[in-house]
Amino acid sequence: MTLRVKDLKVYYQTLRGDVHALDGVSFDLADGEIMGLAGESGCGKSTLSKSLIRLDSRMRHVGGTVELDGENVPIADDEAMVPLRYHEISLIPQYAMSALNPTRKIGRMINELLRSRGVRPGDVADELRRRLELVGLDPEVLDRFPIELSGGMKQRVVMVISTLLNPSLLIADEVTSALDVSTQRSVAESLVEFRDREYVRSMVFVTHDISLVYQMADTIMVMYAGRVAEKAPARAVIEDPRHPYTRMLVSALPEVGSTVSGGRLEGIPGTPPGLLNPPQGCRFRDRCPMAFDRCAEQPPLVEIEPGHWAACWKTGE
Amino acid sequence: MTDVAGAPGADSAAPAPEPAAERRRSETLHFARRNPKLLIGSGIVLTLLLIGLIGPFFIDHDPNEYVGPQSQPPNGEYWLGTTSFGQDIWAQFVHGLRSTFLIGVFGGGVAFVIGTAVGFLAGYKGGWVDEVLNMITNVVLVLPALVVLIVAVAYLDARGVLVQGVFIGLTSWPWAARAVRSQTLSLATRDFVDLARLSGRRTWRIITAEVAPNMSSYLVMTFILLFGGSILIAAGLDFIGLGPTNGVSLGLMLENAVAWSALQLGLWWWFIPPGLGITVIVGSLYILNVGLDEVFNPKLREL
Repeated sequence: MTLRVKDLKVYYQTLRGDVHALDGVSFDLADGEIMGLAGESGCGKSTLSKSLIRLDSRMRHVGGTVELDGENVPIADDEAMVPLRYHEISLIPQYAMSALNPTRKIGRMINELLRSRGVRPGDVADELRRRLELVGLDPEVLDRFPIELSGGMKQRVVMVISTLLNPSLLIADEVTSALDVSTQRSVAESLVEFRDREYVRSMVFVTHDISLVYQMADTIMVMYAGRVAEKAPARAVIEDPRHPYTRMLVSALPEVGSTVSGGRLEGIPGTPPGLLNPPQGCRFRDRCPMAFDRCAEQPPLVEIEPGHWAACWKTGE
Repeated sequence: MTDVAGAPGADSAAPAPEPAAERRRSETLHFARRNPKLLIGSGIVLTLLLIGLIGPFFIDHDPNEYVGPQSQPPNGEYWLGTTSFGQDIWAQFVHGLRSTFLIGVFGGGVAFVIGTAVGFLAGYKGGWVDEVLNMITNVVLVLPALVVLIVAVAYLDARGVLVQGVFIGLTSWPWAARAVRSQTLSLATRDFVDLARLSGRRTWRIITAEVAPNMSSYLVMTFILLFGGSILIAAGLDFIGLGPTNGVSLGLMLENAVAWSALQLGLWWWFIPPGLGITVIVGSLYILNVGLDEVFNPKLREL
């Protein structure tokens, strides 16, 4: 088991009180697993991915544990996290365009990063060239400034940098959202290739784009209002979703799954609840067409089939 | 991992991938040589600097000595003429240039070091560090700098150029600190700074490697403005009679010219050289800065 998150609670501190952005999130990530993380804006996706590598100053770790390869990850202790970053847990930032220092040539920037991680640049120079070639870049890019590269090239450079030290866990936060469709595809394929070559052990792929994640991920986890709604193999989430939220989310997609057409696409009426004072019980209750009395009680996340987890009272029936 | 066929440099003694420092230097030179603003600005500044540095060695008398006929217009012997006391204006100008550059370097240097250090720390660290530093900056900013300078300088018995420079530096850094702080604030939120922070590098390393290079032209401009500002403040102090005792400076020359009615007597060769000297130095520094920006900022480079 690569990553095990148990009952993780991370709140944002504000003047009006705590925003319960992550409120008891539990899941496991297996070796070699690529997990897509989906959900509406504000459901806690980015908070979760940030929590795994670094809490920012307003975020507070309230409870729960994160274990990576059997070791506890001290997510609340910024100093103790430093040795883990890039070596064990790495991140591909959302906007590769701004992730590279515009005044540094890429090779120099990589060297500086490696030295700060205690790695001699010469030791990984060959590997670096090989990986650049793998993603279709000429090693000459090392001698270029970031503005001399296109957006897709920068994204690939950033991917190579993030995975250069073979981290156990890679967090890809909306890496494709700023790219055009064909570049998205090549980026996604490269990520899968990195996993297949064991440059990274496992990956959390945060995205709004369920159709993209369906093509590359092994499992999909759907979050709603700071909690896990459903986690299951990608196929199961698209073809046989159990949680009513997942069902509505999938039915709101134009492309994925069966090619039913003609009918109007349905959105999900309403908006997610505010997390400053989250409602009691199931947080999807107010928008859920299947809600009944028991939903006033928080449904537990249960394994309804092997590898298929959902948090809804109705799934057990 | 060396079993991949044809992997470049797989078994050669790993050449450090530091991408060609040589190329970088020649690239900068390539653009520097083609930038008229840089060439003109640095040409003028360097010429004046050279005159200030070397000139005094060719003058065998004290600049304030009465050496020649009085109120002579420029001629072959006294290149810039003489004052109404018979002092050699060229000698004064050359010595004055030297002390003017000294004032600029010291005053501007002191102000630059304090201002950028305060600005970077306040902008990058934020929180209470920012609060405290910003408060100090604002306090110094609202001090009437010229009055403080006048009082401080008036109390010193022997006033040298260096002391004057340090005092000017100590009072003129706040706006530089504020400017650097605001630039740092916006740069510190960029992803690449954030990623550098993620790698646990030390604060000063991040500031010097990630933040400062992105505002290098801004920093150079700050220094040049502080340099020019110090020269102007020094000229102002000199002009009201608080210049270096027994020294020579362009500002003192202006003071003397006004005090002895050079304007009314039509002795233009007395006040034009120092006035023009100050203007040309500060002006060409600005042009130089624009040129530097175009050379070092890859986005502004034109092939």
